[in-house]
Amino acid sequence: MTEERQFLDVDIVCVGFGPATAGFLATLAPQLLNADGTPAIESPTVPGMPLQVVCYERADDIGFGVSGVVTRARGIPLQWIDPAKIPMSTSVRHERVAYLLDPVGASRRTPAMKMADHLVRGLRLAKDDAFELPYLPPFLRKDGGAILSLGQFLQNAGSELMATGAVQIWPGTPVAQALVEETLDTPAVRGIRLADQGVDREGHPDAGFMPGMDVRAALTVVGDGPVGAVGRQLDRELGLPKGHHAREWALGMKMVVELPPDSVLEAGTVIHTFGYPEPEIFGFLYVLPDNLATVGIFVPSWFRSPMRTAYRYLQHYMLHPYLWRYLQGGKLRSWGAKSLQESGKRGEPILAGNGFARIGEGSGSTNVLTGSGVDEAWTTGSLLAEAVVELARAGQPFTKENLERTYVARRRRAWIEEEGRVAEKARDGFHHGLVPGLIGMALAGFTKGRLGVGGEPRLMPSLEEYYAGRISEAEVSRIVADCRARGVSCHDALMDRCGWPEIPMDGQLLVSHQDALLMGGKVQAPAGFADHVRFVFPDFCERCAAKTCIEMCSGQAIAPGDGGVPVFDREKCVHCGACLWNCTAPLEDDPTGGNIAFTAGSGGLHSTEN
Amino acid sequence: MEPILLLAHTEEDGRLAKPALEALGAAIGLGGELTVGLVGRDVQCGANQIAGSGARILAVTGAEFAEPRYATDAAAAEALCRAAGAAIVVAPATSRWARVLPGVAHRLGGRVDTHATRLAMENSVPTVTRWFYRQRMEAVLTRSQRPWIVLLEGGCAPAWDGSAGESACPTLVEAKVDTRTTIQGVHSPQAGQETIRPDAKLLFVAGAGWTKKQSDGGVHAADAEQLILGFLNASKASLGGSKSLVDLSGEGQAVLGFMTHLNQVGQTGSTPRHPKGLSTCCHGEEPHAVGWRFITERRAINLDANCGWARGKADVVYVADAFAVMRKVNELLGA
Amino acid sequence: MPQPLQIVVCGSIVPDPLQTLEPVAGPALKNESMLPAVLDPWAGHALYEAANLARTVVGSKVWLVSLGPKAKLQQVMMTVAQKAAFELVALDGPASGFTDAFETAAALAGAIEGIAGLDKSRLLVFGGWESASRGAGATLQMVGERLGIMEQFQGVDRITVRDDGSFEVLERIEGGKHLVSICAAPPAVLGWATGYLGEPRNNPQLGMANMRAILPALQKAKPAALPSTGLCFGSVSLPKQQRETRIVKDMPAEEVAREIVAWIGEE
Repeated sequence: MTEERQFLDVDIVCVGFGPATAGFLATLAPQLLNADGTPAIESPTVPGMPLQVVCYERADDIGFGVSGVVTRARGIPLQWIDPAKIPMSTSVRHERVAYLLDPVGASRRTPAMKMADHLVRGLRLAKDDAFELPYLPPFLRKDGGAILSLGQFLQNAGSELMATGAVQIWPGTPVAQALVEETLDTPAVRGIRLADQGVDREGHPDAGFMPGMDVRAALTVVGDGPVGAVGRQLDRELGLPKGHHAREWALGMKMVVELPPDSVLEAGTVIHTFGYPEPEIFGFLYVLPDNLATVGIFVPSWFRSPMRTAYRYLQHYMLHPYLWRYLQGGKLRSWGAKSLQESGKRGEPILAGNGFARIGEGSGSTNVLTGSGVDEAWTTGSLLAEAVVELARAGQPFTKENLERTYVARRRRAWIEEEGRVAEKARDGFHHGLVPGLIGMALAGFTKGRLGVGGEPRLMPSLEEYYAGRISEAEVSRIVADCRARGVSCHDALMDRCGWPEIPMDGQLLVSHQDALLMGGKVQAPAGFADHVRFVFPDFCERCAAKTCIEMCSGQAIAPGDGGVPVFDREKCVHCGACLWNCTAPLEDDPTGGNIAFTAGSGGLHSTEN
Repeated sequence: MEPILLLAHTEEDGRLAKPALEALGAAIGLGGELTVGLVGRDVQCGANQIAGSGARILAVTGAEFAEPRYATDAAAAEALCRAAGAAIVVAPATSRWARVLPGVAHRLGGRVDTHATRLAMENSVPTVTRWFYRQRMEAVLTRSQRPWIVLLEGGCAPAWDGSAGESACPTLVEAKVDTRTTIQGVHSPQAGQETIRPDAKLLFVAGAGWTKKQSDGGVHAADAEQLILGFLNASKASLGGSKSLVDLSGEGQAVLGFMTHLNQVGQTGSTPRHPKGLSTCCHGEEPHAVGWRFITERRAINLDANCGWARGKADVVYVADAFAVMRKVNELLGA
Repeated sequence: MPQPLQIVVCGSIVPDPLQTLEPVAGPALKNESMLPAVLDPWAGHALYEAANLARTVVGSKVWLVSLGPKAKLQQVMMTVAQKAAFELVALDGPASGFTDAFETAAALAGAIEGIAGLDKSRLLVFGGWESASRGAGATLQMVGERLGIMEQFQGVDRITVRDDGSFEVLERIEGGKHLVSICAAPPAVLGWATGYLGEPRNNPQLGMANMRAILPALQKAKPAALPSTGLCFGSVSLPKQQRETRIVKDMPAEEVAREIVAWIGEE
């Protein structure tokens, strides 16, 4: 029995509700209605009504998104970010950067770093195994800014937006794809198609089958983030601008911690660290009001370990004396992870075309020099809204030319463009290592992007190469085979073997990975949707030795399976997208793609305290 | 001290069941002049059971009060409350009373508290203890309005164990009412499939792990069924399930055929009372574990040494294969 | 053919069950406004049963009467509106589990009486048999009494409407059994357990259609401040949760079995 596909006609459909779409809707909504409730901009689709604007978000509720946010908040108007109004937010008061030494002796330091460690210890500059930099470069400073909980920020924004009655935000509604029409000259986007419901894991119709509704719109606003399915579909079908790529990534994983009652940390304190648990891993601790703090790390794509992972490293990070002095005795409140697009301007896709525009992190707006994304994302959304209002008032269609003339042009003139250029090559030095990378960042920051340290991503070493000199090939093979047979990831056993101490679980803050998912992320997934992570060609997986996707999976949703093809448990997935960029299997027709098909699924993180 | 009324209905055999005797004990514990109101087809037997309490006994009797039904039970309770003129009305939280007494409280201009786990005098003031938010937090409360109707959960107070005797005929109270509802009877689960045993000493919870792939890569749902049913028959334990397992059964997957929504513990399921609970193949996450609030001794069998049970929710966690353990358990129990 | 029914479902929001809850003075929940909310699960079952019944008895209509903070109701409606067709009657007030069922019932009954075109001879009042917040199982009975409805059922798992307009109801009773009753005609009150229907899929088109009326209803929500009279909380506490768990590893299955059998046998 074929269920007929429903359809709906609106004027503007948005994919994803994050800071970018929030900025778009916040700027657009007030302009849609007059004070007396009559339409200020009339809908061509439903005459007599204002522009019909809907937004579809795949997570079970708005506000379940996660990020560790400290921002200068230049683009976000005060009413939307007022720390006095939004829970879990505060103004920035103190900022520090600390270089963390290695208290356990397992971190892989380069000779340069070992020298630095000796120096710091020798000159007795270290306290609690860390050296606080006496100077904070201006490009890193956030004074005058705010620390926020992204969940609270978005929940507040969403609530206010819906109260205007001018826009609708539908949670729990994943979008499967954009509806792309191939025309003679350039393709056009005519709207979107929602994910099928009532299907089995493979996507075949099952009990309660409902094919995803088509939502047709003159403008599709794509704000679905760096791993969003629609954004990546457009990248695949339309291609990226020449020379652009999206191959620099990081996985950010964090916890919201209730500090111990005797905590001396003051709300508004911002601490950034580097050096531990591995040279490649940057970390942060931001102190919120009410004795809360967020603590997290970034595991970047230039961390060339086939066994790279996040959760275990996050635990070791928290245990570092410099942080543990604050965190010991604390309780886990929430947990989450997301991928960050670190290609910056070089990851910028085609920003606008016939019937669509890209905003937010998925449009390359994140600034990797300042480590700032929320402000920039909101600003791109806001600029698009201004463009939309200009075009709608003039009765002009959302064509590529018109959107370039109004939206893209505004973007090029805005501060995000200039700062994005400065940041463009700021991270390339890290491909050579931490120290060259830091030098590169400093150069870029101080010369406004004119100078930098160049670098290109290098191939990942094999397991044997990575552990050469520490663990014999035979032992590596044995450990890996044993873990795979038991259906578990390998990084714990290998890290143990490399001297990383066992984590002393306390059931409150140091908990098992699954407990973090359940207690912290409250991760779950509604039934009736297909698996949104699939391994495209099984033989690639069979041949893959490292299976880094398993090691990097934030939720342990990907586990070793029969015959070498991993298995996926969608009830554990937090939709971070790490698997996407951790697959090292090159595909013939798309060398930048991997063997993992990652689409928009429902469920995932389920807490607004993040 | 305020006058107390204990409301109790008789069972099919004319006697008062344990919950009623527990409520009687709690009512006596409040002090104050006690009246007992009995409802049933014929209550003499019940009155004799509690003759030793010395309470004045009122009754509403007749064929129309034999079976549980809102309109008739409410009329009976209302009549008894008015006749007794009590300030505090205590009743066991049976399904029969839970159905009507809140409505009766409204009729009398009073208030009601249900699912009380404790009813006692504190500083000469009657207080009720009950749980909120699905057994996540416990509150102690008092009320100034009267009459105050309190439904006491079964298994929370010791049953009155006074002497039976020859009770005088209870004073009959009139309670006529029209109703559009007729009782057809009781549906029992299929014979042999009765898995919910409220009076069992042990709650046995089967989690979703029973139907997942085992270490040999296969699913052994049939074995699981056999082991679980075998254990239930041998031990006369009551069967509970986690929401995920119950949902699977509901979606028609070939899993544990005897598991229904009625077995669910926690979430939208029950919070049963048993002295002991054994969890198998279940992670022990909070929404399920809150359903274990009234299970005193808890043990779990789970292959994951870091599961929720291991973090302070159970007394003992056996890191072992439930299939192997339960097979041996059944053998030892002669199943 | 049975007469079309007017099915009024009472149900409010509760904190999403996965959240960690803590009481604070009031009593209230810590950070209550920050907690994600969902429609009470039993009220949800009642709503889906109502929608299902409305489909089978032609011409029937479903209302949802909901008392809760307006902003949170709005958020929850974005999901609920996709599950069933209904008209919303919203009351802007507290949804806390610590409010008194008596006061809540008064507000709900008042709102139901105010429904335009209400015909009690066709009325079925549905709701959850208790809530996941207060968990009292008392509100619906009082709503029914205020509306003059003396045919009431609690712990319902099934209703079957017959051609003559009478209906059979299954209510849960002790021991996993059901009591079977026949009610000759509405009005009646049904407090639902879980019933047998699964949760309906999200239907965005239905959601959009519902929203046209739901958003204005939310904007018009009448304030319903519940007076607190005579109910006094002495204390609200989280139970001591942590047990000293003994973790037994590397014990052969036979030995584990013996230990368990011994434990079961203990008094």
